[in-house]
Order: sequence, then structure tokens, then C-alpha cells
Amino acid sequence: MAKTIQNQLVDKDLLVREGERFLYTEAEILDAGDYQKWLTLLTDDIAYQIPIRTTRERNAHSSFSSQAFHMNENKASLEMRVARVYTDYNFVEDPPSRSRHFLTNFRLVSVDKPNSKCEMVMKCNMLIYRSKFDFVSHDVLSGEREDTLRKEDGRWKLAKRTVYLDHTTMGMSNLAIFL
Amino acid sequence: MNRNKLANRYPRATEILEEMKDSIKDGIIPIGIFNDEEIYQMEIEQIFGRKWIFLGHESEIPEQGDYVLRYIGEDPFIVARDESGEINVMLDACCHRGVRICKAEQGNTSHFRCPYHGWIYKNNGKLIGMPAQRQAYNDLNKEDWGLIHIRLEIYHGFIFGCLSQDTPPLETYLADQKYYLDMLFGLHKGGVEVLAEPQRWVVNANWKLAAENFSGDDYHLIFLHHSASDIGATPYSMFENMKGYHIHAGNGHCVSIALERDQDGSKTEFPYWNFPKDIYKTFDLDSLDEKQKEIVRDSKEMLGNIYPNSSFLVMSVTSDQQSEPVPFFSIRQWRPLGPDKIEIWNWMFMYKDTPEQFKQDSYRAGMTNFSMSGIFEMDDTLTWETATWTAGNHFSKKNLKLNYQMGMYRMGTAEVDDKWPGPGKAYYPRYGEGNQRYLYTSYLRDMLGEEKDQEGAEIKQDGKDYSKSISR
Repeated sequence: MAKTIQNQLVDKDLLVREGERFLYTEAEILDAGDYQKWLTLLTDDIAYQIPIRTTRERNAHSSFSSQAFHMNENKASLEMRVARVYTDYNFVEDPPSRSRHFLTNFRLVSVDKPNSKCEMVMKCNMLIYRSKFDFVSHDVLSGEREDTLRKEDGRWKLAKRTVYLDHTTMGMSNLAIFL
Repeated sequence: MNRNKLANRYPRATEILEEMKDSIKDGIIPIGIFNDEEIYQMEIEQIFGRKWIFLGHESEIPEQGDYVLRYIGEDPFIVARDESGEINVMLDACCHRGVRICKAEQGNTSHFRCPYHGWIYKNNGKLIGMPAQRQAYNDLNKEDWGLIHIRLEIYHGFIFGCLSQDTPPLETYLADQKYYLDMLFGLHKGGVEVLAEPQRWVVNANWKLAAENFSGDDYHLIFLHHSASDIGATPYSMFENMKGYHIHAGNGHCVSIALERDQDGSKTEFPYWNFPKDIYKTFDLDSLDEKQKEIVRDSKEMLGNIYPNSSFLVMSVTSDQQSEPVPFFSIRQWRPLGPDKIEIWNWMFMYKDTPEQFKQDSYRAGMTNFSMSGIFEMDDTLTWETATWTAGNHFSKKNLKLNYQMGMYRMGTAEVDDKWPGPGKAYYPRYGEGNQRYLYTSYLRDMLGEEKDQEGAEIKQDGKDYSKSISR
């Protein structure tokens, strides 16, 4: 009995490692600006959401809106955004800003059938550094990400991402990057 | 304030603006006005201290006790619906020490309590007590020490606040802009409602650059927003879209309408701003005159600026390449945060009595294109930032004079159209910068404390004291 529990723990740890590895690789692809490749990491039913946050009193239900979004994307709208990047008129991101994802505090929230097909929800803390042109100034975005990963044909893919930002009024002049 | 006093208080700003007063007749604007601390201080006093400023919409605070926190320039105001259902706009500052008493951006409360000594105010601003009142403030007349109310007026549910007692009532102030706002927001019996909390973000740009962009800078869509056309985010050709009118709508307000002249209405490609037929069939056109009905039917896109810093936009866009384009209403406030900084407030609206799914589609399509992550707007903020940067630099400030001449001296095809059926002076097509010049001429008049508008007419200042119109 004790051994089985231990095995399950090991399995779970391995799964978390796999999830982390996927998310690190995904972040590397985003920071490199290889958005075509990034799209191949997304499931066809991807939901990518960044809800708008407002300062609320402590007793309020949530500071995150259920109807207001900085971004509320599906595969098709993400593909449109990526298509925009590769037009000749991508003024805001050509030359690209320099962004760096820092991902930490990984937590496994839930696993669905760990040994067969498999979907898992992972949380992590996210810090993104962004600078552009020859300015010494830079932007920092902080938040928590909740990512649902799904194994399809033996490969992990991102099925859902919700970014819970630590910002109400945003201090960036545009959100022309993916978080 | 009279002109001499202004010139004494803001000598350098006055000098730049006097120079601009001459140069704008030739369509020339010195870039310095877009990043200058003294001009900004003068604007806070002469513009934001005197004009009607957009704060929010009734539908944001539908219940008694609902409140939102809003700003006019740097001053914070609580916009609250009290127990009697009335809306109040009150300075967010305790009368005892000036401590801010509103804790959140929005919420519901019966009272606002100062955290410092515990003075407590009802949601209509009345001071009702404080700790140890008998020992501390026994004879205080609490009636005299309520929160400071400012003037507020409401049009189509849109709440405006004004810091001055001399400014005419909102409807007088809106002048011909009313006619165009009625066309957009008066089309549905249930009116419009806000779809979600506003998006707020800070951009290192001067507020006037945003205001002039929405006043009638359609020309930039051809190039800056080429990517949006390339990927099919909007069904319009940006060149075709230049067929349309620029209108000076009084008191510095501007409107820009994509509308082909003399077209056969039955052939309109995107009637009613591309609203789905089952929705535009429910439009209440009875409130419109015949001319408005035609404009509403035939215009593809419409935007404008409510002087000084509130804008509106209706156009049709898609959230992805597989979805049909849908129209959205975006309302803006370009809140000044200094000579080189604004906070953009972006609200999405829709007619209240339309299907929930349509509202969601409209919100999503609108935000995909016009927001801080917007396919269109992400490129706008880039240009406003670098122009503001340029404006603050020593050499450019002295030497760079900007060209606003499109539509003058046979440059640009825009010409006055005397047959325009609506009110206000109209130009056709939209290859002109007359709206921007109109905006800045009004701006100069206000900044320099003058009494005639650029077309020589007396400004609608009737010398009355409107302090009685304060709600409490």
C-alpha cells in the first residue's frame, strides 16, 4: 500500500516536471518571437484569457471581471494576431520588443487520468520583462497563470490559459506580446 | 480669467500659444504644445477646470449604493447612486484632513468612512458623524461639512462632470454634437448600456494627440493600420473609407463619418454600420429626422471627439478571420496625467435590448481591435508616444513646425459641402485636416481666454451663474 502511494507521488512529480518543461519551452519560443511555432503548441480549442482586474473591497467576490478582458482569444483570433505580426506593417513590434518570461512557483492543481490521455492544470507565477528600442526604461508585468495542458498524440499542448495579472490600470502602452 | 492675468501666470505658454494662433491660420502647429509643463498646468486650469468631462454611464451604477471612482485631470471623484436613486459626483476627499475615503474603483456602499479619524459620509455626501462626536465636534454644523459636490449632467445615460460654475449646461455645451450623439445612442428605446468594466492603461503621450486622432484623422488608417486591412480585421477598404464627411460640431466638438456622397441608399454595402438585420430592424427611427435616418442607414463608420478629451467610435470589425464583422461602440476618456502622459479609459457599449450573444460578440470584436491589445490601437499608441517624445526635446521644440495643411491651399481634396443635411460645417471627402484645425482653434480660444470662435461667432457663454444647478 505504502509503495503504491509512493509510486503515485513519483508519477505526479514526473508529470509536474513534464508540464514545467513544456511551459519553459513555450516561454522560450514566445520570447524568441517564433509565433508560427507557438501556434503549433496550442490545441484547436484553446481558450486564452486575460481578465481585467479592478480594485475591490476585501469582501467583494473577486477583483477579476467575468466580462471584461484585455484579451479573450480562441485559436482563430490568435492566428489572426500572429498573421498581423508577419505583415509588412507591424510597426509596434518591428523591430520587436525584447521580452523575457520568468516562470516560477509551479503548482499542480489537478490531473485528469494521469496514465492514459491526460489533462493537467498547472499554476505558476509569471514575471515578464519587456524593453524596446534604445530606451533604458522597461516594463514589467506580474501575475499568476493557470494553464491547462493536454496530451495529444503523445505531445503536450496548451488547451487553456488564464492570466491573472497583478495590475488594475496597466502600465504598458500596448499588449502586443503574448503572456 | 482675463488675458493679462493668464499671460502673467503662464508667460512662456502664452507666448507659444500666441505664436500658434497666427500659424494655425496657415495650418502650422509648433510641436512644443504636445509636451510642455507650463502648457499642461494652463490646460488643467483653462480646459479641464472648465469643460464638461465624461465620467461614466448610468448603467455602471444601476443599484442604490453603487459607486465608481472617476477622475477629472488629477482630481478623483466618487460617482455614486444614493438611497433615493439620484446620482452624485463628489470629490474623493474627507473635509477634515483631505484623506481619500473611497477605497475601491467600484463597489456598493451606503457610507464612505475616512480611515484617519472616522468621519463618516452617506453615499449622497452628507456628513453624518464621527467618533466621540460630543467630545470632539459638539457644535459642528454637519450640513456645512459634506463632501464637495460638482456639477453633473447626463445625456443618453452618459454622466459628465464640470468643475466650473460658469460653463453653460451640458446640452448647450454639446451644441451640434447632440445631433450626432442622438443618431448613435438614441436609436433604441432601452438606450445603451456598458458591457463591462472599463479598460485602463497608461501611455506616455499627450492627451491632445488622442483627441485629434478621434476628431478626424482618418488618413492614418491607410498606412498605420495597413496590417488590419491585410489580415481582414475590417471589411472596409481604407481608401474607399475616405469617402465621407468631417464636421465641425460646435464648441470644438468634431465628427467624422464614412459615408459616400450621393449614393443610392438601396445599394449601401454596410447599412446601419453593419448591424445585423434583425437588430437594425428594431432601431427606433421615429426619433430621427429624415436626414438623420439617411445618415444612419448609409454610414459605414462614425467617430468623433466630445471636446476636450472624450471620444466615441462605431465601426465594424471581426475578432478572427472566420467570424463575420460586427459593429461595436467604444467610448474613451483621454485622462491627462501630465504633459507627456495619459491614462486611456476604454468602455464598450451596446444597445441594452439586444441579444446577449450579440453583445458578447460585439465586445470581443471591439476589444480585439480597439484596446491596449487591439490590432488597430497597438500601433496608434506607438506613434503618439514618439511624437510626444519629440515634442519635449530642446531642438525640436524650437524648430519643428508641424503640417496640418491637408484641405488648405489646394492640398487635399476636402471641400466645404454646403448640402450636408446635418448641423455643423461639413467637408467632403475626408482628405482634410480641418477638424484638427477646428479642435486646436477652439483650444487656443479657451487657453488664451478669448470670446469669439474661429468663425467669428460669439461663444455660447451667456454669463449666467450655473452654481444653482449643483445637485446638492
